[in-house]
Amino acid sequence: MTAARRRALIAYGLLAPAFLLVAAWVLYPLWVVVETSLRQGRSPNIARLSRLPLGPDNYLRAVTDPEVWHAALVTAGYAVGTIAPAFLLGLGLALLLDREFPGRRWVRSLMLVPWAVPGVVVAIAFLWMFDASYGVVNAQLRNLGLITTDVAWFVNGVTALPAVILPTIWKCFPFFVLTLLAALQAVPPELHEAAKVDGATAWQRFRFVTWPTIRGAAALAIVLQTLWAVKEFDIIYATTGGGPARATQTLSLLVYEEAFQFFRFGYASAVGMLLLAACAILSFLSIRWSRPPGS
Amino acid sequence: MKATPLERIAILLAALAIAAVLLFPLYWIFLTSVMPTSALLSRNPPLLPDPSLVSLDAYRALFARKPMLTWILNSATVTLATIALTLAVSAMAGYSLSRYRTLGQQAAGFALLVSKMLPPALIVIPFFILFSFAGLIETKLGLVLANAASAVPFTTWMLKGFFDAIPRELEQAAMIDGCGELEAAWRIALPIARPGLAAGAAYVAIVTWADLLFARTLMSRPENWLVTVGLQSFMGEYLVDWASLTAAAIVSVFPVMVLFLLLEPFLVKGMAQGATAN
Repeated sequence: MTAARRRALIAYGLLAPAFLLVAAWVLYPLWVVVETSLRQGRSPNIARLSRLPLGPDNYLRAVTDPEVWHAALVTAGYAVGTIAPAFLLGLGLALLLDREFPGRRWVRSLMLVPWAVPGVVVAIAFLWMFDASYGVVNAQLRNLGLITTDVAWFVNGVTALPAVILPTIWKCFPFFVLTLLAALQAVPPELHEAAKVDGATAWQRFRFVTWPTIRGAAALAIVLQTLWAVKEFDIIYATTGGGPARATQTLSLLVYEEAFQFFRFGYASAVGMLLLAACAILSFLSIRWSRPPGS
Repeated sequence: MKATPLERIAILLAALAIAAVLLFPLYWIFLTSVMPTSALLSRNPPLLPDPSLVSLDAYRALFARKPMLTWILNSATVTLATIALTLAVSAMAGYSLSRYRTLGQQAAGFALLVSKMLPPALIVIPFFILFSFAGLIETKLGLVLANAASAVPFTTWMLKGFFDAIPRELEQAAMIDGCGELEAAWRIALPIARPGLAAGAAYVAIVTWADLLFARTLMSRPENWLVTVGLQSFMGEYLVDWASLTAAAIVSVFPVMVLFLLLEPFLVKGMAQGATAN
């Protein structure tokens, strides 16, 4: 065997287990779900699923289903409502952690902790804090005179969406801190010194020195976290389960409910494929837009 | 910008105050878990604990009444097995991507993109169908495969970044000394990439330990539940026992928290790399 062939064998041999794992448990399931989405009709017995006739019915039904459009709207509201505040919070904290101060490593660790907390635990903490009768939030709002009657945050149709957005912000802001901090630390300090000598204000230094260097990382982090929020399941499922009256039912929850509560696997798969397509379009468009002109 | 010592202390204090506000939810469930129910069901719960009331009753009740220990062991088994499988597979793939030019370069980027876009609520449908046929429903192996396959694209990319930072010359020197190519990778590159392996392990641990969707769908018998599914089942009860529930939440978050605080520096490096590399 020649040295080149030997190297190729090693290179592909090392890749093979990862490729097989992803092929067997990502690509093949993806193929199965596409096929399932084209099976018309309903069968609680999945062994008979493959005997149902093939056709585009599920997709046609999905795009004309007002429930799907409502869920799409809820998903968009949920994602935007999460990402915008989480980004601003993350950026603010990253700027703070970019300064030098004693104990910075530990403060940074503490601020990133929510990222490691499982979604179910986040859900429990916020459900309890925002409990209508015994929640600490209502108690403090009463003490401050901001409310006179208890607000049932997760049960009220108007407040439910903000109520599930808040724990989601809490879980995802650390990702912005982490990526933006890494980008900030790549900004050469001399640039700031030079801008300062030239008499730039703090805002001008941020706008014209810091922002251009972290812009790419910020755009990428926003895209990644938007995708994450669009796909998020645990927090909503464990707090409201999509209720009240579908006020917090995102597409992910709708897909899950259709599949595992009503056993409409074909329809659930079709709605899920539309969600995946939306994610794909969203990421391609935003990657194109966020690229600086000329590159 | 060099800050004066006084300014630094001021920044530290401000940062600590912000951290305290941000971590309030965790503090609050911890406080709830060590308070008797009579103190909990108050219209105006005090923000600071009354030390004389502190008790571990909720923890005792939790372990006595619920199979909490079983759930934690299930979670630990699935998490450790997923870490082992994911790291083994992605260390090899990451090394290959870092050192050789193959068709894997594009495939890996594509896999990463797909894994970032694929909604878990969608992919769990074919998992359920395939696992039913393969007899993997109610098995830990099924969960390990599902979690590992979801994590591998990202950890591979992360480890590639760590291998990229190791100069090739180190392995070349070992090969001149008579080492084979794979032996050089194993004996030279892998030990140096240990921070990367730590970062990968921490990432997989956090994601797998937190998984609710796969675990809930693919394991239905209570004795097979993971701790997240157990926690979620508490909330469906007619009257939520908040002391037990928050105690369970604290118990289940404790292992990942310790791991996170220990491995945070590696994880931050790896995450930042994984999030910026493409």
